[in-house]
Amino acid sequence: MDNLAVTLRKNRTRILTLIVLLLLFIAAVRGLSTKDWIITTLRGFSVGAVTFLVAAGFSIILGLMDVLNLAHGTLFMIGAYVGWSVYVRPDTFVDLLTPLLLIAAGFLLQPLWDRILQRARLPHRVAQTWPWVGLGLGAAVLVLVMSRAPLAMWDWQSYTDSPIVWTQNFEAGNVGAMAQAARFEGLSPVIGLAGLVLAGAVISASLAGVNRRRGGPAMSGDALHIPWGSVAIAAALAAGGLLVFLANDGLTAWLLRIDTTWLFLIAIVAATLSGAGLGALMESTLIRPLYDRGIYQIMMTFGLSFVGIEIVRAIWGRQGFTMPRPSLFAGAGEGCPATDLAGWLAHKCSTIQLTIGGETTRIRTYNEVFLILVGLAVLIGVWLLIQRTRLGMVIRAGVQDSEMVQALGINVRQVFTLVFALGVAIAALGGVLAGPSSGLSNAMGEHLLLGALVALAVGGLTSYPGAAVGSVLVGLLQQFIIKYGQVGIKIPFLEQPFKPTPPLVPASTVLLMIIILVIMPHGLLGKKE
Amino acid sequence: MATASAIPIQRNTLLSQVRGNLGPLLVFVALVALPFVIGALDGHTVSEVLVNGSGYSMFIQGLMVEVFILAVYAISYDLVLGITGLLSFGHAMFFAVGAYLTGVLLKTFKMPFVPAGWHLSVTYAGLALVVLSSLLGALARWLPPWRATVDRLSTPLVVIGLAAVIWGLFRSTVGMVIIAGVIQALLFGIVLPRVKGITFALVTLGIASVFAIMLGTRELAGYTGADVGLQGIPRPDFLNPATQRLRFYFLGLAFAVAVYLIYKRFVNSPTGRVCVAIRENENRALMLGYNTFLFKLAALTLASVTAALAGCMHAVFKPLVSPEIAGMGHTVDALLIILIGGMGTLSGAMIGAALYRLLDYYLFRWFGASAGFMLGAIYVSFVLFVPYGIVGTWRLRNLQWKQGWRKRLQALRGGGG
Repeated sequence: MDNLAVTLRKNRTRILTLIVLLLLFIAAVRGLSTKDWIITTLRGFSVGAVTFLVAAGFSIILGLMDVLNLAHGTLFMIGAYVGWSVYVRPDTFVDLLTPLLLIAAGFLLQPLWDRILQRARLPHRVAQTWPWVGLGLGAAVLVLVMSRAPLAMWDWQSYTDSPIVWTQNFEAGNVGAMAQAARFEGLSPVIGLAGLVLAGAVISASLAGVNRRRGGPAMSGDALHIPWGSVAIAAALAAGGLLVFLANDGLTAWLLRIDTTWLFLIAIVAATLSGAGLGALMESTLIRPLYDRGIYQIMMTFGLSFVGIEIVRAIWGRQGFTMPRPSLFAGAGEGCPATDLAGWLAHKCSTIQLTIGGETTRIRTYNEVFLILVGLAVLIGVWLLIQRTRLGMVIRAGVQDSEMVQALGINVRQVFTLVFALGVAIAALGGVLAGPSSGLSNAMGEHLLLGALVALAVGGLTSYPGAAVGSVLVGLLQQFIIKYGQVGIKIPFLEQPFKPTPPLVPASTVLLMIIILVIMPHGLLGKKE
Repeated sequence: MATASAIPIQRNTLLSQVRGNLGPLLVFVALVALPFVIGALDGHTVSEVLVNGSGYSMFIQGLMVEVFILAVYAISYDLVLGITGLLSFGHAMFFAVGAYLTGVLLKTFKMPFVPAGWHLSVTYAGLALVVLSSLLGALARWLPPWRATVDRLSTPLVVIGLAAVIWGLFRSTVGMVIIAGVIQALLFGIVLPRVKGITFALVTLGIASVFAIMLGTRELAGYTGADVGLQGIPRPDFLNPATQRLRFYFLGLAFAVAVYLIYKRFVNSPTGRVCVAIRENENRALMLGYNTFLFKLAALTLASVTAALAGCMHAVFKPLVSPEIAGMGHTVDALLIILIGGMGTLSGAMIGAALYRLLDYYLFRWFGASAGFMLGAIYVSFVLFVPYGIVGTWRLRNLQWKQGWRKRLQALRGGGG
């Protein structure tokens, strides 16, 4: 009993705040009809789920390596665009798969280069300059080959070939008929493919050289030992790339034939993996030199977010477009709207009709069922990863004191790269999931990043459950304010009900953040340092 | 022992002052000459430039005025972040309050820009008193017999002069902007003792976002112009950027130089040293008996007033005050500027602002749509290759070179010893 009293007294601010929030929620619920508040709550959870996917990675990265990754929103957006490309243009995806696999094969040889460089005793001046020459050469080969590589793309500059029109064609089921097989132009395929592997290898070797030049930590002991594992994986990747190249047309035809739900699943996997790859690349080349220069990381990640937005604009254009829902969530024909989950799965309806308190209402299966389920799945999955695996143990220890972890002989650098890749992958997953519900635009990343920041601040910056709680709170608050903007709040002594205007939606979440931070500087669930 | 005697004893003479600040002085002279040089290159005489007859010179003057405003805004952020070590993400609000207040007071409330009538005389008298007494204080060094008297008198005289200036300014837009600057710093002061570090950044970001959202609401559109921005601000005749561009240019230059000198004096004053100590280790400063809250508030107030004045100038100069200047992006502008120039080095903020604005302008002119990409790439390469900003890295290199030379000289002189 004594312990309980002590805990209560220690956490009285937190408990009081939670009670006030709960009372506010109840008050908000009582102002609406049963049907309205259930729908609004579900929508809040749906927005919260997407926000959480961005906030979770952001929070783990911030906690473990103290990097305020302002490019996280941009990476979320890139995930969405990559997902769209795989989903709407499977032919482009298959075309791109070959070069990506071959370049990645070259990159995976990095441990081998490290060993070789350690053995090679180059004169100082050569060691200083060759990595830059190598980078330039590699990039030149890459540009040369890729400009002739077989790649069927869209072109945002001409309307008939723009992503918007391609999306419409996808909905009409015309992509298969319009997709044209591309071939190497004026370049022997053998030379082209070899060039790709070479470019990847040269670039990765040069990056290793740059790292050595900076005086990266020397590896101990058996420097001559060849890392067979990574060589084998690289060979397997290269073989996979060749296989995809040979089976290009068949693979494209198959992807265009299968159900869009499966295609969407492939898009999710591809976007998540590309996010992970991008995150790993970003951490190992750009963020790593900055760990001891805190404020400059902000400049770096902000610059990267600029670059990312511009790349997206160059490839996909400035105009926003939509992403069609997969068939599992798009049906409207016979048996729809479904009356329960089983009916939805049987008829693939886009909505479920519910009867609550004599009123009927419809909830959208994609937004209000699927997104929430995925959010929950990621929440539990990452929680299990953090709590139940060895990697998770290292992450938790690293959040507490990363120097100590390093002192205990754990390769923190590797863990940093992994965690960064994980965080970006979750954000990219969030992006591709947000695509069908809110569409794609150049600004989607910035908007969501602000929401995620607020959610994190409310929940406690480096606390993982805090990210979940904060995201849900932000989502609920936003949706309730939007709902009350339609209904109006009855205020005593006022003739007309007060209707919150649209600008109040972001303002309310920001105000919530200010109030909670001033009361509890470490957020709802954050720990005191 | 050898190193101690190697440092020459500095005599504080006018000549050594000039020699020590040769770089900034040269830049100042170049900036004074700039409109005329540009005009001459464009084939216009000095008198034509003086009556704003040279189009290209006028255009460059306009660009430079923007640089001056940006430089003052960035230097005020440097005082908060680089000197005092407070990571604030709400600095754009300081600037935007100054700009919008100026616009609204001039347009809706028809308040005079600078004090009129006898308020003006009081202001001038106060200003004269401040300038004279500080000059006297500075000259006292060379007037040994009266030194003690002058020293004792100059501080109260400056205070009286300042009070007169403030009282005179009270019924004018500029005065209201200064008061608003103090008030918003006090607003940040409410949360200052509660939250530290990144949480302070988030709270300030929140306060500034609420302000930015308020600017965009339809209810206040009559005053602020909502999303479109504030247009049609009536300019005071003597400072109309269309007809009095050269005057505006020199006013901007004088403003930037004055702010730079005041800030340099502030940083080297005992108060400023405590601010630096707070940046380095707040707990230690606290333990030494300094009320760190007051010092942080002082730095914040000075920065806020400066930024508000820069915003005031922005509102008078620009034909349109856009709500973008209140957004997070504008704070990040300041952050990027001082990171480019070198954090905590005041002069870095000035150089960074010039580079930032000119880079922005010329990149968009030369590369058009892909300028954003170039800018991002430049930031990233700056972080990688100019690690401490222009001024910071230069100072570091300079020190290394000097040390290298000293070592070599010692090796030559001492032989093996």
